[in-house]
Amino acid sequence: MATRRTSTLRDYQERVLRVVVYIQDHLDEELALERLARIACFSPCHFHRIFQGMVGESLSDYVRRLRLERAATRLKLDSASILSIALDAGYSSHEAFTRSFRSAFGLPPSRYRHSQRSSRARNAPSGLHYEPRRRPREFRPVNTEPPMDVRIISLKPMRVAFLRHVGPYSEVGATWDKLLTYLGKEGFLGGDAMFIGICHDDPEVTPASKIRYDACVTVDPCFKPVGDIGVQSVAGGPYAVTTHFGPYHQLGVTYTRLLGEWLPRSGRVLRDAPCFDVYLNDPQGTAPEDLITDVYAPLR
Amino acid sequence: MPAKAAKLDLFKTLKQDYVAPRKPVVVKTSPAKYLAIEGLGKPGGEEFQACIGALYGVAFTIKMTRKFAGQRDYAVSKLEAQWWADGTNDLGRAPMDKWRWKLLIRTPDFIGQQDLDRAKAVLLKRGKGQEVMRVQLETIDEGTCVQMLHVGPYEREGETVAVMRQFAESRHYAFDGRHHEIYLSDPRRVPPERLKTILREPVKPAP
Repeated sequence: MATRRTSTLRDYQERVLRVVVYIQDHLDEELALERLARIACFSPCHFHRIFQGMVGESLSDYVRRLRLERAATRLKLDSASILSIALDAGYSSHEAFTRSFRSAFGLPPSRYRHSQRSSRARNAPSGLHYEPRRRPREFRPVNTEPPMDVRIISLKPMRVAFLRHVGPYSEVGATWDKLLTYLGKEGFLGGDAMFIGICHDDPEVTPASKIRYDACVTVDPCFKPVGDIGVQSVAGGPYAVTTHFGPYHQLGVTYTRLLGEWLPRSGRVLRDAPCFDVYLNDPQGTAPEDLITDVYAPLR
Repeated sequence: MPAKAAKLDLFKTLKQDYVAPRKPVVVKTSPAKYLAIEGLGKPGGEEFQACIGALYGVAFTIKMTRKFAGQRDYAVSKLEAQWWADGTNDLGRAPMDKWRWKLLIRTPDFIGQQDLDRAKAVLLKRGKGQEVMRVQLETIDEGTCVQMLHVGPYEREGETVAVMRQFAESRHYAFDGRHHEIYLSDPRRVPPERLKTILREPVKPAP
């Protein structure tokens, strides 16, 4: 049996810092998620949530803020036009740049240029800022109170019938309808069926039209694939599980906290397999605030 | 895409039966159609859980069979149950393993015996357990009742029932019939102190 891998909060911080340093050194480049995940040695399907949960900003917000802070530095240091600084910062117009800049600094670039304000934007929970002469060596990992209620359980592998949905997460209902209607009339919705959603892509990172989501229902061996409905196995093993109360569209917050706050402090490491949701009640006939969903993250 | 009729939710269309007031009220219930399964034993015990599974299995199979055929869709209603024990009017006095219960799911009037038989046949073909055979369609007429929302653990329902009894007596009614619960909250994850359950006690004019 493989020894359980452990990892401390410091280990997680160091891996995120590798990405932070890389971003600072390559601020003008494309910064693809897969590349950053590899630098941090996290699997791409989990990396973004870990980063966002620990740093307190999504990757794109973080990069945007660093570019704005660098632009702020330039506004003070040289006399280039605001438009050229805007274009270098990745904005397509003076107006777009001004809007973002004002949101980050509280005043427009023209007034900032002549002010004494620092080049640190507001809203940086991690304490990480653009600092070209220094390599960031630490940051404040986010830790909201109260701590999450997470239990570690051991699952047996589960055989599921599933329908894949590609498209916005908000539209998975139609896929569930189709799957449940078919399975129901065929007698596969006995009382012990579990309803599982596997989201292979992070809605924060992947364009809505490309998000892959599998609507799954546990079935016994007598179910055979038919038409679009396939069969797959959900891996067994140890899982961290937390319960999300409330609307499905807020599940992202729970995922981010589980992977970005609980996980780095748990001593555990994730397996390279997707997280999934288990829906405990029926969204038809249940008010959104009464919905109950268990979120599962696979551990090594 | 064809226009859909509004999804039928019985707890909304029959909202007079499903009032959940913080103080007891008199409710004149109408005869109600349910999918039902009866049993004996501890709530949460093996038999109980198996029967809940069978009841939901039948309810969803009936719904999905109709939906597949393009017929009017409806939400499967929340679980309800009647509770009683042999030889006593006071459930609290009987040991839990002697409690009798009838698990109920309110069902639209357009569901008939044929729907039920077809669902049972399909589930049995898939090996879904003998409890499925015990599910029946029943119409229950509880008539005039006293109804009140209970918030908190099931073990503390006695307090709410006492309030309801006092209210009934003040209106010259006496309890007459099975204790009936309507489960608004899911006990699997909701902390006991936040569970919401509607309690209903059928009454008759006091002698």
